[in-house]
Amino acid sequence: MSQENSGADVAGLTSRLADLLSDLCLTIEGKQPPQVQDETLARVAKCITSNTGSPYHSISLSEHECVQKTMKILRARGEVDGIDTAEHFYELYKKLLQIKLDPQVRHSLMGYLLSMADKQTANGEAGLLSARSDNLSQALGNRTASSANLTAGVGSYATGTSSHNGNGLSERDAVDGAGCGGYSYDPTQSSPGLGKKTLPNYVEMQAQQKFDEQQEIVLNAIYSFTGVQGKYLKKDVVTGRFKLDPNSSESLTAGQAGMLLRLSELGYYYDRVTKFADVSTGFNAMGCMGQALMSKLKEELSEFHGQVSELHDEMNLYRKAQMNWNAGCGGEPSDKHELTLFKLLAWYIKPLYRLQWLTKIADACQMKKGGELASTVYDLLDNGHSMVNKLVVDILTAICGPLVRMISKWMLEGGINDLHSEFFVESLNDVGADRLWHDKFRLRLPMLPKFVPMDLADKILKTGKCINFLREICEMQGLMKGRDELKKVMDNKVDQFFSYVPDTSWHAAVETCYQQTSKHVLDIMVGPHKLLDHLQGMRRYLLLGQGDFVSILIENMKDELERNGGDIYAHDLSSMLDAALRCTNAQYDDPDILNHLDIVVQRPYIGDKGWDIISLKYIVQGPLATMLEPTMPTYKLLFKPLWRMKHMEFVLSMKIWQEQMGNAKTLRPMNSEIGKASHRLNLFTSEIMHFIHQMQYYVLFEVIECNWVELQKKMQQATALDDILEAHEKFLQTIKVGCFVGNETDMEHSLETVYENIICLETWQSNFYKECFQEMTARQELAKEVQKSEKQGVYGLTSELTLQRDQEKKIFAQKIETACHGLEVIASAYEKAVSNFLMALNSSHDPNLQLFGTRLDFNEYYKKRDTNLSKPLTFEHMRMSNVFSLNNRNSPNSRFVIHAPTTKE
Amino acid sequence: MPSEIITLQLGQCGNQIGFEFWKRLCLEHGISPSGVLEDFANDGMDRKDVFFYQADDDHYIPRAVLLDLEPRVINTIMGSAYSKLYNPENVYLSKHGGGAGNNWASGYSQGDKLQEEVFDIIDREADGSDSLEGFILCHSIAGGTGSGMGSFIMERLADRYPKKLIQTYSVFPNQDEISDVVVQPYNSMLTLRRLTTAADSVVVLDNTALNRIACDRLHIQNPSFSQINNLVSTIMSVSTTTLRYPSYMNNNLIGLMAPLIPTPQLHFLMTGYTPLTSDSDVNSQQTVNVRKTTVLDVMRRLLQPKNMMVSTGPDKSNHHCYISILNIIQGEVDPSQVHKSLQRIRDRKMAQFIPWGPTSIQVALSRSSPYVQSNHRVSGLMLANHTSICSLFERTLNQYDKLRKRGAFLDQFRREDIFKDDLSELDESREIVDCLVQEYAAATREDYMQFSVKRGAAGAGDAKSEDGRSGTSGGV
Repeated sequence: MSQENSGADVAGLTSRLADLLSDLCLTIEGKQPPQVQDETLARVAKCITSNTGSPYHSISLSEHECVQKTMKILRARGEVDGIDTAEHFYELYKKLLQIKLDPQVRHSLMGYLLSMADKQTANGEAGLLSARSDNLSQALGNRTASSANLTAGVGSYATGTSSHNGNGLSERDAVDGAGCGGYSYDPTQSSPGLGKKTLPNYVEMQAQQKFDEQQEIVLNAIYSFTGVQGKYLKKDVVTGRFKLDPNSSESLTAGQAGMLLRLSELGYYYDRVTKFADVSTGFNAMGCMGQALMSKLKEELSEFHGQVSELHDEMNLYRKAQMNWNAGCGGEPSDKHELTLFKLLAWYIKPLYRLQWLTKIADACQMKKGGELASTVYDLLDNGHSMVNKLVVDILTAICGPLVRMISKWMLEGGINDLHSEFFVESLNDVGADRLWHDKFRLRLPMLPKFVPMDLADKILKTGKCINFLREICEMQGLMKGRDELKKVMDNKVDQFFSYVPDTSWHAAVETCYQQTSKHVLDIMVGPHKLLDHLQGMRRYLLLGQGDFVSILIENMKDELERNGGDIYAHDLSSMLDAALRCTNAQYDDPDILNHLDIVVQRPYIGDKGWDIISLKYIVQGPLATMLEPTMPTYKLLFKPLWRMKHMEFVLSMKIWQEQMGNAKTLRPMNSEIGKASHRLNLFTSEIMHFIHQMQYYVLFEVIECNWVELQKKMQQATALDDILEAHEKFLQTIKVGCFVGNETDMEHSLETVYENIICLETWQSNFYKECFQEMTARQELAKEVQKSEKQGVYGLTSELTLQRDQEKKIFAQKIETACHGLEVIASAYEKAVSNFLMALNSSHDPNLQLFGTRLDFNEYYKKRDTNLSKPLTFEHMRMSNVFSLNNRNSPNSRFVIHAPTTKE
Repeated sequence: MPSEIITLQLGQCGNQIGFEFWKRLCLEHGISPSGVLEDFANDGMDRKDVFFYQADDDHYIPRAVLLDLEPRVINTIMGSAYSKLYNPENVYLSKHGGGAGNNWASGYSQGDKLQEEVFDIIDREADGSDSLEGFILCHSIAGGTGSGMGSFIMERLADRYPKKLIQTYSVFPNQDEISDVVVQPYNSMLTLRRLTTAADSVVVLDNTALNRIACDRLHIQNPSFSQINNLVSTIMSVSTTTLRYPSYMNNNLIGLMAPLIPTPQLHFLMTGYTPLTSDSDVNSQQTVNVRKTTVLDVMRRLLQPKNMMVSTGPDKSNHHCYISILNIIQGEVDPSQVHKSLQRIRDRKMAQFIPWGPTSIQVALSRSSPYVQSNHRVSGLMLANHTSICSLFERTLNQYDKLRKRGAFLDQFRREDIFKDDLSELDESREIVDCLVQEYAAATREDYMQFSVKRGAAGAGDAKSEDGRSGTSGGV
């Protein structure tokens, strides 16, 4: 860039100078054909702009003297076209003074003009003079070693372009030839054949030979810069480093050899960088971003080439001058202006450093692609050296270009154009649209540049996902508002991509894009697709939040539920579901939601009742399915224990308890016989009732309801759809734990035992009451019989009948006795299960479960019975739990022991 | 419609509290006095069909049967703005309109005589519901119609609808003042027997406590019936709130009752309510509300005897305990606070529970009506089965014994059919009530599990009172 700037300056300077100089030349030479004039001008201009070096040694006169002498010559010519040329010259000279020009350059310019004026006067000596003037410009040009950049500016004026392959030189030679005519030089000879020995007819001299040798060495060094082997420096086949050719190195001094070797290091790095920049070597970085790196490397190399070619130019010019001198014309060349190894050593430090860094970067990037590549380069950032830092930033910018464009395409259009799999978002082609939201796209973590934080990457992923979702699932084609602006920012501000603080306009654009898109999706899902309502619906119906609906549904289906699995048909049930929906508060729900609710009958296994195979299902379609389908198995999983719990509650209240209450009234007369058993039954029922109700309360309220409230809060605050889905996912997970689904088999098992005992109790109870009613009917019959016979005036109760009745009574009493034992068996099994369950709860790591444990035993009833429950819960205590021994029916501690039957009978 | 409940209002007291109850329900459901749904009532979160049904013209009609033997109260109701609310066919007034004269026996006999007409109404109402869950009976136990006719209807209901629940809201007489009904102890005793044997659950509304609360807590010097009834209607409406605003649990009567009642006899429930304020208190509320009411505050207050609607007298033995508790909490409650509060109550042992079985405080968070503005952030009702309720029965027993020993005022009973032969009905009732007291006492002890053996003997006393006496003496 600096080169361009200075070039522009020089161009400005040159144009001003040009006018001035053309006037000057005009003054001195008079009118000439335009072509000749231009050429002269070019020569003059070159002397000036390309020169910042020391005054040309051949001008012995001071500047002022030069001016004076020129004026004198001009004056001698007299007036041309009525203008005093000398005066005019002086005026122009004064103008020249105003232009900021190196005094030395001005000096040499004046010297040149003097000679020009002189030449004009003595036309005969033209050849010599022009050769001298060429010498002048050449010598001046040679001195540009340290400011090679200036030549470019000159080139823009004089020869159009300055390139490193020697074109500039040859053209200049051509100009020389045309302008002066006296000196001819074959341009073809000098342009490509820099390495050849120039000028065939040179005088054999010791000095010349030495000079050539020097030049040879320097040239070798310069060759080595671009990895070319020379006479002295050969490449080591193994290491690729340069080494001295043993054949020719004898002639070198130790110093020269050392310097050559040092200089050749540059060539080594050049080679390496070239290798890294070449696709065919296989050492290059890969993918689009790798290509970006390579092109950047090539750019660096071509710049380096340019610099090296400057050296070449300088060398050639010097050599030419030297040759001219040797030929005996022109000024005296001096060692000072020669390109020596020392000079090269001074020069090579900067390029070396740069190439070393390039090598280091390229080396680190070998075989890498995508985000990994970017991360690698990013690591090299923050170098204290400003040049290095700039270099790395440039490279990283170049590398990130393709990535940033991929991001913008992804975020704005949802497309992935990623042939080399280097984008950190990955689209799985074999995943269908139905799983678009959850599975289709994912982050390719190794490809994530380390300067992209996870949350940003996530946002980028989600944005594109949202767009794809809108396009494919919701079939909405509209583009995002302000898309073009965002695209502009996102595509062009590449270097902000890896800024330390994500507060740049690029980040802002990404954020805006993310927010707009996710808001859009959220609005669509929550709005037209009623996501929240559906979640609420699932919570109400699948998680049994709508209590009245569930109890009515059970009430409606109770006959079906009791049936054997094989006799149940789904179509019968759906009408019952509809009825339940119609007559409960569910009717106020959105029909949209209710239509999704369905009842399914699973394939029954032997022994399955309706309870086991009937379940509710929520059918989701379209965009909702994409969102919610993955959670459906969880709902299915959760429905089971909840349904089972409702089943238990139903059996317990609607059957066991209600029957007890009703029968207590009816069987009151038989209280003396069955009172003991029914009292036991009542208390046992109330114990189970407590358990089931606490259980239900815990699950439905503390687990589901409390978490639902949390979820609702989160849903209100959500800014993106994924917030809702994540919260929902978490909600389900918590409930899964709370419902004892699949976490600790111990609890599940104990719970199942409890449930089984409830079913046993139901059977037991119905048998028990059947016996009781049988007995009661028999007694009533007898009483009727007695009444009837009393009416008839006959003593109707025969001894036979009485005996039979007594026998039956005895059998009944025995039956009740057996029933009591049966009840005890159930009760002890139940208590064992509950104790195990409590134990599992108390020793659980989940504080909520522990609290639930204390809730189940709110009045410390179980704790008093099983001392282990109060002991610190170590493994040993758990193992030594006397839950089992307590339940031993013979143990006097057992509360289930019925007092030995009275011996009254 | 599902889980319907038919309300039966009997006698002066029953109709009065029933009237208040329906007024309250109409207000909460946004139903105008003429049964039309108000325009603002479109919330859809409530379940009106438990207590109402819709007529052809869509206006809401209570599932209520109004019965009385004298026309005064029912005429007042029919003269009020709410006259159009009720189905006129469900209002039954005895033809002669003479009432039961505060005589249980008279009410009982008249119930017998009128049963066909009464059960025509009840059967029709029961047939009109899809799945009738039960009956709610509002009455007082001291008067004539509510107690006598109520007792009769309860017995018949239990026979006719053995699968349906019978819940009663029974008003117990004020013990602090001398009643103008001299036979009140007899009436109470006879009704108590039916409440014990025929009802499934009895919510005891103790006038003594209600008056005390009105005086002490609401600062009303001489509380009127309507003020007391206002309290009663609050209790009735809140205790049915989970049925009317369904959510995850306790959405039917049986779900509400089953966990509270462990054995068929121990089904007498106390209630407590907080905050207790009256309209005049609204101004002073500003000073009282120094901080946010939390769930714990509500639960703690509910456990305080002063908020109980049953006056059990000082618990001398200090062994009475809760058999079960259900707290229905309404208002702005953070659900996560509930279990913390329960934990706190447990840690501080704020309540004493039975030693013979597991029990705890159940909590039902319930929505409240959006149409009724409440001054209170959180309010709570407690339904509790507490053993100290037997002191109420003991008191009745004592009063009865005093009267019975003297054989006073028995003539008017003897006039009726049921006492034509002898007064064994009275003695049997006493036995059963005594037995109930015994059972409650036993329920405070750890060996309640073995109670059955002794009660078996007492149960036999149903048939023969001598056996019963020996049985109970053994039980004490």
